[in-house]
Amino acid sequence: MNDSIVFGQYIYRNSFMHKLDARVKLISLVLMMIGVFLIPKDHFILLGIAFLIPILAILFSKISLFKYLKSLKQIAFVMLFSFVFQLIGNHNGELLLKLPIQFTVVNIAIVVLALIIYFIVRKYLPFKFLIFVLLLIGATYLFRYPIYGHIIHSFDFLIYQEGVIHGLFLIGRVFVIILASTSLTLTTKPTDLTNALEWLLQPLEWIKIKTSIFAMMISIALRSIPTLFNETNRILKAQASRGADFNESSLKEQIGQMVSLLVPMFVISIKKAEDLADAMEARGYIPGEKRTRLVKMTFKVSDYMVLGAILLLFVLLILGKCGVYAL
Amino acid sequence: MKIEFKDVTFQYYSEEKPVFEHLSFTIEQGTTTAILGHNGSGKSTIAKLIVGLLVPNAGQILIDDVELTEQTIDEIRKRMGIIFQNPDNQFVGVTVRDDIAFGLENHQVPREEMIQQIEKYATLVDMKDYLDKSPEKLSGGQKQRVAIAGALAMETELIIFDESTSMLDPKGTKEINQMMRSLKENFQKSIITITHQLEEAIFADRVMVLNEGKIVLDGTPQVVLKEKDILEASGLKLIDGLDVLNRLEKDDFDHKSSIMEALWELIFKM
Ligand SMILES: Nc1ncnc2c1ncn2[C@@H]1O[C@H](COP(=O)(O)OP(=O)(O)O)[C@@H](O)[C@H]1O
Ligand SMILES: [Mg+2]
Repeated sequence: MNDSIVFGQYIYRNSFMHKLDARVKLISLVLMMIGVFLIPKDHFILLGIAFLIPILAILFSKISLFKYLKSLKQIAFVMLFSFVFQLIGNHNGELLLKLPIQFTVVNIAIVVLALIIYFIVRKYLPFKFLIFVLLLIGATYLFRYPIYGHIIHSFDFLIYQEGVIHGLFLIGRVFVIILASTSLTLTTKPTDLTNALEWLLQPLEWIKIKTSIFAMMISIALRSIPTLFNETNRILKAQASRGADFNESSLKEQIGQMVSLLVPMFVISIKKAEDLADAMEARGYIPGEKRTRLVKMTFKVSDYMVLGAILLLFVLLILGKCGVYAL
Repeated sequence: MKIEFKDVTFQYYSEEKPVFEHLSFTIEQGTTTAILGHNGSGKSTIAKLIVGLLVPNAGQILIDDVELTEQTIDEIRKRMGIIFQNPDNQFVGVTVRDDIAFGLENHQVPREEMIQQIEKYATLVDMKDYLDKSPEKLSGGQKQRVAIAGALAMETELIIFDESTSMLDPKGTKEINQMMRSLKENFQKSIITITHQLEEAIFADRVMVLNEGKIVLDGTPQVVLKEKDILEASGLKLIDGLDVLNRLEKDDFDHKSSIMEALWELIFKM
């Protein structure tokens, strides 16, 4: 089964996490998401416990931490932004730090220059994001001490205790959820995920919502991505052989080239969808009708144990929230 | 499975002219029939009418004397399988195994039985080692073999091949043609093979040539192949040896009948 699906984030390994039933992983993720947002504000101990779950998942996945960090990187900027937002906006609690900041012409010039240089050379830099953060910190530091010249503007940058704590807590929450969902997508095949989703949405069938159609749509889409991808490549190559160059042409030419890619892709997709619908119908597919399934999902002992543990934690949290005991 | 077209007229909504009008023919149960015609002559339309993907504007289609209607189509369809032209556009599953299972799942075959059927027919089309592969990793010929396994696994009475080789390389074409022949020999199924190439039609029991919405030739391959003019007028490319044969037919020479018989034989065996 190891090389059957290559698209998506899925990485094949022979690990505990990979063998865990997709339904267990999906339910756990949903409970984690709800749970993490139910954790009382700034309760770092509970957040720490929640944090242990993705950590365990990572340890038992045999996938290098680096892959997980990559998915964090994509959202790092948003996390930084919300942290700074909290720092500036939250004026509750003890005053921790008072940073008198004074802008002078020279200071501003140096900072602007540093930023310009950064944006020019960032292509060649490793740890871009880290350097960017250091640069920002350096800039504030520089603003504190007027180097020379006329002071244009000065104010006090105030950091309060709650701002820091709340900012960190916010980041922590997002961190946990991103790691947890990355664990799911890295260790679960898209098809298994679709099957799990279909299973999970089964109750909706009772109120006459045809979830099987929805699941079929997802799996057909998943199945079509690689072929459409190949088609796109083929057309791009054909265009390149006719002299089109996506890298070295004007915007107008590029738009023209995009159109001449999109039009055939659109036609191909429609033809494909028609053919596929014919093939499915001819092979007896009736949307929403009962079907037997080749894939049989069975809970193993380990699945029950993981699900049990997660459920237990979740119930404990809910009971605490309801005031049965103090959290 | 007996198929009867009675005065069938069909027109696509978007077109000005009907593809055919008052078309009638009967295909007897258990026979192999080739439908020949140039591109756009309406062959696929006939195939789609038989499996109920299209509905005639007028006339009737009878399957074993039961008329194809909205009420009967679901049951009748369970008894037919069709393999289309484009190997990519009819691969429904994410893997070979999934794809063969698709039809069985629709027919609500129990899981245990499904597993056995998949094994059996994947072996038959020589794709057993590829069960867990995804379609991008297969050649066109292999994908068509999977489609055949999918149709065979449903154990239908009729299998239709709609130009199933026309998008394949020579190797794939040969594989699928051989498979069609062996199906004819080894199964008691009705087979309809649709093609625009004469050499793919000559293994059939009966050949029907379609042109401008009419059946212009109908008979055994031996009979049909002799009608060189009509075949050419129908936009078909003649087989290499056929020209020579037809010319020899006009001449007189020693042992003519036995030589001619041997030559015909040769063509059919190709
Ligand atoms: N979906 C469609 N919509 C409109 N016209 C069609 C459609 N499919 C086929 N046709 C037209 O109907 C005629 C017969 O097509 P078809 O049955 O596909 O021929 P063949 O399979 O012999 O190549 C052609 O003229 C074709 O252009
Ligand atoms: Mg056709």
